Amino acid sequence: MSLVIANLVDIVKKQYLFKLKANIDSFSSLIWIQLLALLFSLGGVGSTLASSGYLSIEVKYYSADLVIAFTMIWAFVTAIIITTKPYRNQDFTYVTNRLSSSLANIIFLLTASIIGGITAMLVNNLLKIIAYFIFNEQLYSFQSGFRELALGISMTILYVFCISAFGYLVGTLVQVSKLFILFVPVLFFGTILLKTSVQKEPFLTSIFKFYFFEPSLLLLLLKILLTSCLFFFTSIAILNRMEVRR
Amino acid sequence: MKVIECKDLTKAYIGKNALNQLSFSIEENKITGLVGRNGAGKTTLLKIIGGFLKETSGTIQVFSERPFNSLNVSAHSIFVDDKMSFPPALQLYELLEAAGSFYPNWDMDLAERLFDYFSFDRKAYHQRLSKGKTSTFNMIVGLAARCPLTIFDEPTTGMDAVVRKDFYRALLKDYLAFPRTIILSSHHLDEIEDLLEDILLINDGKKHLHMPMEELKEWAIGIKGATATVLEWSDKKELIYKNQIGADTLYAVVKNDFDEPSLMKASLAGLKITSVSASDLCVYLTSESKGGIDNVFSDR
Repeated sequence: MSLVIANLVDIVKKQYLFKLKANIDSFSSLIWIQLLALLFSLGGVGSTLASSGYLSIEVKYYSADLVIAFTMIWAFVTAIIITTKPYRNQDFTYVTNRLSSSLANIIFLLTASIIGGITAMLVNNLLKIIAYFIFNEQLYSFQSGFRELALGISMTILYVFCISAFGYLVGTLVQVSKLFILFVPVLFFGTILLKTSVQKEPFLTSIFKFYFFEPSLLLLLLKILLTSCLFFFTSIAILNRMEVRR
Repeated sequence: MKVIECKDLTKAYIGKNALNQLSFSIEENKITGLVGRNGAGKTTLLKIIGGFLKETSGTIQVFSERPFNSLNVSAHSIFVDDKMSFPPALQLYELLEAAGSFYPNWDMDLAERLFDYFSFDRKAYHQRLSKGKTSTFNMIVGLAARCPLTIFDEPTTGMDAVVRKDFYRALLKDYLAFPRTIILSSHHLDEIEDLLEDILLINDGKKHLHMPMEELKEWAIGIKGATATVLEWSDKKELIYKNQIGADTLYAVVKNDFDEPSLMKASLAGLKITSVSASDLCVYLTSESKGGIDNVFSDR
């Protein structure tokens, strides 16, 4: 029998294609989540009413921010799910080692982020169409044209990918110890509550500002990619030592 | 060529050593039976060989590599048991196709033939299979993968007698056509003894015996006769098992280091010399001296 040396790139590719098929359900849940977010956004996110004399102006804001937020939550949850035991065991039924399994997971999450990002921005347009045709609103759009769409899509993809990287790390930590199920939310909400007690800007707000209020596109790209890489590297380093099917 | 070599292999779980200073090696293209009582460490050993678990100390080499995190070992070995995990979204036939994309020696023709023989539905899902059917399906994957190292851990769990027989036959036929190293752990030693070339008996995480099956069959003999005579004959021999039958008859199993003439003499002295089946012998070798299950119920 021939013992062909196994090639990492080759195996990762096969694992990735396998994961796309095996995790097809996560994409159907994406559709439902975005439809739900669309439903919530139909009322508009805000409105102002101005009137003087016979003239009255009502401005309603329609935005798909909620769709993007829901897509981020979906990416976060999906990333956590694929670090759980059954998913890791599935990889080991076929050919893999821990590195190839994680690399395939990362490429899968990237694919998921791309699909999530594109569909989220398309839902945004769907919302405008619904507002125009069904609610008969007069549209004054801030962003239109292909350039804006492309920029919106790529930014959404980046953010969603970064969130999924964070989810992957959280999922990995939970696999190390179930205590993290408690620890992570406590840390998250704890920093928010801290604000009221010490009268200081919460840590979470600074993080939010750091990532979401960056005016330079290049710097933002760098920030997000570096953060994602850091999350993934940490996860790989942890997962590399973990036993499966105990 | 040695496919598996391990030296002083130890696996510690919290408070207990599942494997304790285990050393052995397995040659290429042999069918080895791994036997031992429940909790002896069989599954732990096989999972370490498959690269699932990490050894605590000692060395293990599979294809001259440490199996934990080795892509090569993963590509050239397959671990089959009843708990193999498959994605719930894929149908049975898609699972076979996926296996085909991963394993370089995968034989789809064989997989399909076995699949049809055991009347599986291509569109069925793995999660909904019965226990026996799950084992049968996993066995098909294990056989068709044609991995140079094929590990079956209790592959017959839940299978009925007919399917078990079919499985052993299929395993033997495919092994003869495509020789490979196979490790088979099972509690039904009497069913697989004709299949095995070597046997590895472990007890309490330690190696107890590792020898060719032929040798094991002659390794010990049973002596039956009058208690006094049997005791006299088995004196100074390694006594493995003894059982009092009736008032004055004793059945003893001792290590077979008698020569022909002394066996003749024993027969003349009215002793009945019998061979001991491999599965009985393994039970005797690994039994704990607590006087059997009857002791639990006596004196209550």
